[in-house]
Amino acid sequence: MATQHSRSAARLMISPAVILLLGWMLIPLALTLYFSFLRYNLLMPGTNPFVGLENYSYFLSDPAFTAAMVNTLLLVGGVLVITVVGGILLALLLDQDIWGQGVVRILVIAPFFVMPTVSALVWKNMFMNPVNGLFAHLAEFLGLSAFDFLSQAPLASIIGIVSWQWLPFATLILLTAMQSLDSEQLEAAEMDGAGPLSRFWFIMLPHLARAITVVVLIQTIFLLSVFAEILVTTNGGPGTASTNLTYLVYAESLLRFDVGTGSAGGVVAIILANIVAIFLMRMIGKNLDA
Amino acid sequence: MARAASPRRRAAISVLAWIVALLIFFPILWTVLTSFKTEAEAVADPPSFVAFDWTLENYFVVQERSDYFRHFWNSVVISIGSTIIGLAIAVPAAWAMAFVPGKQTKNVLMWMLSTKMLPPVGVLVPIYLIFRDVGLLDTRVGLVIVLTLINLPIIVWMLYTYFREIPGDILEAARMDGANLRSEVLYVLLPMALPGIASTFLLNVILAWNEAFWTLNLTAANSAPLTAFIASYSSPEGLFYAKLSAASTMAIAPILILGWFSQKQLVRGLTFGAVK
Repeated sequence: MATQHSRSAARLMISPAVILLLGWMLIPLALTLYFSFLRYNLLMPGTNPFVGLENYSYFLSDPAFTAAMVNTLLLVGGVLVITVVGGILLALLLDQDIWGQGVVRILVIAPFFVMPTVSALVWKNMFMNPVNGLFAHLAEFLGLSAFDFLSQAPLASIIGIVSWQWLPFATLILLTAMQSLDSEQLEAAEMDGAGPLSRFWFIMLPHLARAITVVVLIQTIFLLSVFAEILVTTNGGPGTASTNLTYLVYAESLLRFDVGTGSAGGVVAIILANIVAIFLMRMIGKNLDA
Repeated sequence: MARAASPRRRAAISVLAWIVALLIFFPILWTVLTSFKTEAEAVADPPSFVAFDWTLENYFVVQERSDYFRHFWNSVVISIGSTIIGLAIAVPAAWAMAFVPGKQTKNVLMWMLSTKMLPPVGVLVPIYLIFRDVGLLDTRVGLVIVLTLINLPIIVWMLYTYFREIPGDILEAARMDGANLRSEVLYVLLPMALPGIASTFLLNVILAWNEAFWTLNLTAANSAPLTAFIASYSSPEGLFYAKLSAASTMAIAPILILGWFSQKQLVRGLTFGAVK
């Protein structure tokens, strides 16, 4: 079918996209790598001497790095657990025959479309604020003392906010996967005397395995880069209590103007993201063959 | 799994589902309600849900004091601009990969996807410095360039998964009837591909509208879209709940409505076709 002519036409049609993406990837990457070997601070203009791995040893031995790594893992892991477990439960609920199913779905999906800065500020001010927030009013109503979420449990609060944003995504994907399950299979199992729990465990869950993997991998990519939610709620604090790797690199480069160290941190972030990416690419690649 | 459940069971499950859904939606509802309150009512204890003096004042004040529409316009230009340019680059590429697949097609697709996995913070410093040196910092053009590039892989992928479902035989038939490449694209492919292109457009506008890493780091007063505009309310003097709510409502309303229309495409677009 494909003639020589259409082949070269195809190549011509693909090349703009490829060239642009190649440039977008290679030029900044090469520069990040290059800067990471220099002593380069925007506040100290002048020569930027080559310092070898000094930036890396400085970045990696900084206690803030260890804290940021732990926070990144907790943030990604916490949000994943909440959204996957919550998403399965919600999808199971929405998959039932309920009144006004369309409206319920729309309500559940809505948080995903709220921009990160809005959701972070709404949660921070109108819910978590220890004086005027709704949670404070509620605590007072129940006779409890108000809790200052963002200063006493900053990371957990951010995990909560980010989970609220991503729960709809997980729910929607798991629900889509659930609806592709052959209902006859479930009915057959029911006829054979399988209870609801064992039907879920032996039929539903294996069927969902692939969708769960996709949710975990895609969310991980985005969750490693959570930024706006931290910027507008805690600025990474108190101290480094809610600083993740992305925020640390941002602070190093654009708040402390230390381009060298920031770049070294950027390279570290890229290496970490690549480890996740390899798994995701394999999954999607397999699907492409099918 | 929609089996005929007993009415009582159905009622119980429906009530439960509605309660859960309303709880999840509540922060948005609360924001919208608060936007119609006065500042005093916004922080009143106990809070009132609907029994307050509804006012539109906050919306006018937000516009007057912070020129909301300029930021709104920035968001529109940046999200729609980057999506249209992205589509112009991606449609030919996805078309070629779907209909004239070669040995390398799969590798090219996978490689494009891999660029999406590059964490933005890894290239923040060079992009920031390049933009500073060529004068693109805090410009809409600069953001359109960045958002086009970061979303290009998603656009190509989405289009590819749609185009792949168009039967190639139809193109054969058109060609047999003497259609050239131009009329093949215009009269056969485009009408069939239009729904896919429209969904891709919609999803990508949403993603670009809500993008909050590059828009926060590369803009200041001039070109700040709504994401960055709202972030300015994080300072203590911005602690006016009713005005924050009005600004937030205006920032999310258009995209929330678009989003509801595109919920089906969302799954496919964001999972790169892995879940349909």
